[in-house]
Amino acid sequence: MSEKKDIVKKQDAAVEKTRALISATPAVDIYENDNEILLHADMPGVAKEDVSVNIDNGTLSLSGIRRFDSKGVFAWEEFSDVEYIRSFSVPQTIDVEKVKAELKDGVLKLHLPKSEAAKPRMIEIKAA
Amino acid sequence: MYTRLSDIDRLFGNMSLLQKRLNNLYDDYGRSSGYKWGFEHTSPRTNLYENGDNFELKAEVPGLAKEDLNVKIQGNYLEISGTRGSETPEGYKTHKIERGTGSFSRSFTLPADIDSSKVEATLKDGVLYLVLPKHEAAKPKKISIN
Repeated sequence: MSEKKDIVKKQDAAVEKTRALISATPAVDIYENDNEILLHADMPGVAKEDVSVNIDNGTLSLSGIRRFDSKGVFAWEEFSDVEYIRSFSVPQTIDVEKVKAELKDGVLKLHLPKSEAAKPRMIEIKAA
Repeated sequence: MYTRLSDIDRLFGNMSLLQKRLNNLYDDYGRSSGYKWGFEHTSPRTNLYENGDNFELKAEVPGLAKEDLNVKIQGNYLEISGTRGSETPEGYKTHKIERGTGSFSRSFTLPADIDSSKVEATLKDGVLYLVLPKHEAAKPKKISIN
């Protein structure tokens, strides 16, 4: 037991720590229709290059980093540099190849189309 | 007896409400809830910096176009107002709505008068940047020592 502890401590010390970026959860809206799932997330101040969207094994993870270069002395500061992180489980029926993302006015909009097989189909009932 | 019990119940209800409010107060970068832009937090968050001749103000306004925003300045009084409409697309059913909608107005009394003719406002990536040059009389001056 005591050996294990030692190893953990050494690992901690070895990690070089820079100023940690605060993580925040972006607020999202999620909509769905027969063809796709729509996801809107508020990420004010995040540039297009700093957003990453990952879909892996049924998990969709969003990440966006914003950094301000602020000059002068602050009189008040209610927000700061931040990393927006949030993950969602998405159904396997999402067609990963066709996922589209756009970023406008600090809002990330994701279109997650459903694959053909997952779309609802009307079954016609034939008279026997 | 029943009335008393309900009184106590109500008291506890109020207490937990208060507790929730207080939790939110210190939970700016909340993990689970994020923060709501709309009516719960009635106005966007802002930063103000003082930088020699200028003040610089930043405000988080995600999803607002420049037509949705109004900035008013008079002396050292600054007012930012705007509206965010609902973006619910037609024919979709809703799973989750966290992003608030509605209108806000926030006003500030700045530490010094502003030269309103030279104010610059830019909107980029959902953040409003205001550069507010101080009025001539309020600018810092270098005093030479004889």
